[in-house]
Amino acid sequence: MEYSQLIVKLEKDLKKVTEESAREKIWRQYFGREGVIKKALSGLGALPQEKRKERAIEIQKFQREAQTLLDEKEKELKKTAFKENLASERESLDFEAPKIGHLHPLTETIKLINDFFREQGYSIMEGPEIETDEYCLQRLNVPIDHPARDMQDTIYIEEPNVLLRTQTSSIEARILESFKPPFKTAFPGKAYRNEKVNRSNHFMFHQYQGVVVLPEVSLKDLFGTFSALFQRLYGPSVKVRYRNKYYPEVEPGVGPDMQCFNCRGKGCRLCKGVGWIEMGGAGIIHPNVLKMAGIDRNKWMGFAFGLGLDRWAMAKYKITDIRTLMGGNLGYKYYENENSL
Amino acid sequence: MKILFSEIKKLVPDLKADVSKVGNFLTMAGFMMESLEEVRYLGKKDWLMGLEVRHNRPDCLSVLGIAREVAAKWNKPLVLPEFRIKQKIGRAKNISVKNGRFVKRIIAYRVTHVENGPSPEWLRNFLALYGMNSKSLLVDLSNFVMIVTGYPSHLLDERKLEGDLVWDLNDKFSRITTLDGTEIKLKKKNEIILRDNKKILALAGLVGGKKAEIDEKTETIIAEMAVYDSGAVHKNASSLKIITEAGNRLSKHLDPNGLPLAINWLLALILEQAGSDQSQVEVFNYYPKKENAPKIIFNPEKSKKFAGIPISVSENQKILLSLGFKIRPIKNSGNWRIEPPIGRLDIQQEEDLIEEVIRFKGFEKIPFNEIPKLTVTKDITPKIVRLVDSARESLKTLGLDEILSCALVSKEANRQMACIEGEPVLTLNSVNEEFPELRVSLAPGLLNQLKEWRKKNLKFCRFFEIGKIFCKVKGKYLEHNSLALLWGDDEEKFSLNEMRKLTEKMLRSLGLSNLVYSPSSNKPQIANPTVCFDISVDDRPIGVLYKLLPEENRPAVYLSEINLNQVLRSLSHGTNEAVYEFKEKLVTLDVNRKLKKTESIHRLINNIVRKIGKKHLWNLEVKDAFPLKDGIKYTISVSYRELSDQKAKDLHAKVFGL
Ligand SMILES: [Zn+2]
Repeated sequence: MEYSQLIVKLEKDLKKVTEESAREKIWRQYFGREGVIKKALSGLGALPQEKRKERAIEIQKFQREAQTLLDEKEKELKKTAFKENLASERESLDFEAPKIGHLHPLTETIKLINDFFREQGYSIMEGPEIETDEYCLQRLNVPIDHPARDMQDTIYIEEPNVLLRTQTSSIEARILESFKPPFKTAFPGKAYRNEKVNRSNHFMFHQYQGVVVLPEVSLKDLFGTFSALFQRLYGPSVKVRYRNKYYPEVEPGVGPDMQCFNCRGKGCRLCKGVGWIEMGGAGIIHPNVLKMAGIDRNKWMGFAFGLGLDRWAMAKYKITDIRTLMGGNLGYKYYENENSL
Repeated sequence: MKILFSEIKKLVPDLKADVSKVGNFLTMAGFMMESLEEVRYLGKKDWLMGLEVRHNRPDCLSVLGIAREVAAKWNKPLVLPEFRIKQKIGRAKNISVKNGRFVKRIIAYRVTHVENGPSPEWLRNFLALYGMNSKSLLVDLSNFVMIVTGYPSHLLDERKLEGDLVWDLNDKFSRITTLDGTEIKLKKKNEIILRDNKKILALAGLVGGKKAEIDEKTETIIAEMAVYDSGAVHKNASSLKIITEAGNRLSKHLDPNGLPLAINWLLALILEQAGSDQSQVEVFNYYPKKENAPKIIFNPEKSKKFAGIPISVSENQKILLSLGFKIRPIKNSGNWRIEPPIGRLDIQQEEDLIEEVIRFKGFEKIPFNEIPKLTVTKDITPKIVRLVDSARESLKTLGLDEILSCALVSKEANRQMACIEGEPVLTLNSVNEEFPELRVSLAPGLLNQLKEWRKKNLKFCRFFEIGKIFCKVKGKYLEHNSLALLWGDDEEKFSLNEMRKLTEKMLRSLGLSNLVYSPSSNKPQIANPTVCFDISVDDRPIGVLYKLLPEENRPAVYLSEINLNQVLRSLSHGTNEAVYEFKEKLVTLDVNRKLKKTESIHRLINNIVRKIGKKHLWNLEVKDAFPLKDGIKYTISVSYRELSDQKAKDLHAKVFGL
């Protein structure tokens, strides 16, 4: 057979090949020890001198062409094999919506406020819920016979000294005593008062307080901090006013009010006709409080503030019964298709 | 405190500001105007302001006190009514103080030949606006003076006295019938009383008694006005549960030095309205220890520092003078020596004066839209706060919902739980009798929530709570942060191992490893006793994991509770060297160890770890546990680091005695 014909045959044979093993078999037919090319080369010697060279050139040409065809086939086969392999790797997603967890409305509120204060360089603190009268009241400049005690119906564990803290200011008293200034701290916490549980009262409630002691602070600093917090919580258009108010642990004392969001200051049932809603208390730390904590009032100044959390969380989440916050009717909604593709 | 606007104007005649301006000022200066009512008084339109009066300003539970503030704000003179007492005043006999422990000052007048009757219309109208019923001319005058001056007084009918009028501490009367007919049981414990030789006449500072009540036949009266120890009055008022206008004022720190003005005004009114030419007046005076206002050193540079806005020295001066403070500069110091006016016992130190200056400068003058410059201080956030935050985020990510329950629970709820360390903490006086104890576990709250959610057909009953739990150990009260998670879901099949994995995922996210489970030594009553395990780390118990006792037709409920303070301790014990530089390959060698059933594999492992030491131990694993007749055979595999083959073999042989 002529080599040109052989090439055509090889081409035809390779077309049928779908596996590497078959390609190898064909390769061996041509390039193997017993293959066509080896045989042709060994047959060269039998040829006359003048024909030998011509024949050799022919064989070499065939060898090159055949090799190219076989190489191309190998590439093609690899490509197909990869494609098949890829296809076999195929996996599909299940479209089952994963359940998401929720944080409690109060925790969300606390997180928001914590984040704000962390950004302002505050440390977030905590403290014991079982307290002594000393840390809960006396160290905050509320001595035993102080009339302000009327407002704090205490739940006692050992009367009159061991009690459930009636305000998170007890944490303030402990921070002032335990840490060397300067410091900036904020702390959420539970507090307890002896109230009958109903829609709007609970014996357990939540406060958010802070205490800052630096070489120098001012009411302007305090107001600025508070206003920024209120804007974070209620948006940039919130209106706040700061009026003088009496708290034993501060002097001067401040009552921050927020303009009633319901009536925008005109007066309505929600704000009891005042147009403003009381948000808590604040002020420059009373020198007696610093003194009891062993902080030199000539070197250090501080401010302190406190907010009630429950009402805020209730308003934000449209909860009308305070008991919902402490279990019972609290439920979370799942948007099951939210994560579907 | 209700205040009639025209009454302020009567005392500050030059006042031009209208009621809304005055209300605004008072609100910002510490007396929030809670209400404003248009009323008619003496045939004219008037305003009744409802003011919240600061606790430390009993002087402002009066028209006079508020008018003083207003006069100072607009720098107008305060004009007190003029009154003259024509009568010669003799010394009163038969009035005395037997026990004056809580009595600061008394002035009492005996007035003869008075004629009681109905009040004139203006007085009746006046009292009605203040929510008081007209009783009789004399009583109404006493109330009028209390409203205007802030000092309560008390009138007795001399005719009804048997013997002397005496101030005393009650040690023999067990009840008193008050003016309005209420009978009050007395406790004979530091009750300041007025009595005669036979009977109790009044609870001093709180309420008068029926026995010496004045009536239309009264001819001679004793009008007494006193200031007592405010704490004692406050204690009596709260222990006897008496709320009166007098008690409200006298349980605060009223200035005894303001008393003469008030009682003399009352005397003048009595003589003018109810007296006659024959009226004779005698006085009883008691003021054993004069209470003087402190003299305070004040630096006028400080108020601007406190406020954060400029306040000039002359502004300081102007404000303090307008409030009636006496100022005496101290030579070469820039400081002033300040003497407060009568009625201002709330002013005790420099900061109180600073507040006065800023109050009258105006809180509204301080800008509130500037966040203070960021001062960097040391971060003192306790580790537990961060741990609680991380745990909460981790559980949320794991698909659990957070709940919050009450820290006070029923005795039964606590009894069902295993209080690991001590006994439950009992509260003494909770008005919510069903919940007298502090929780020893978070489980009751979670189970309660589960019940509620099931009632309401809520899906996904998988939730957690983080909060304090409490106990009492050897007389000490302990509390720690606990974390509990509950899986009581109909949606997804669950098993003990799933629960373990869930709990572990959370614990591992906090950085804990080496968790060990062992059958629980202290099982809660609500747990299935065969499915209850203690969780520990390095021999330190950190929590418990259990299945609840089965309920019919309900999916199994799993609960785990972790003591976060213990987790924190475990975390601070563990090393956090996660990176090593390797020069040698690891060498892993096995060893077999037989233990009796009662012996703890954990103890053995701890021993091995200690013996090998941190330097060369890479990993230790129990690969196999083969039960034998009399114990268990463990195969332990130890990987040594930074040792050659031979050295590792030598150490292995030494540690295990091979
Ligand atoms: Zn409103």
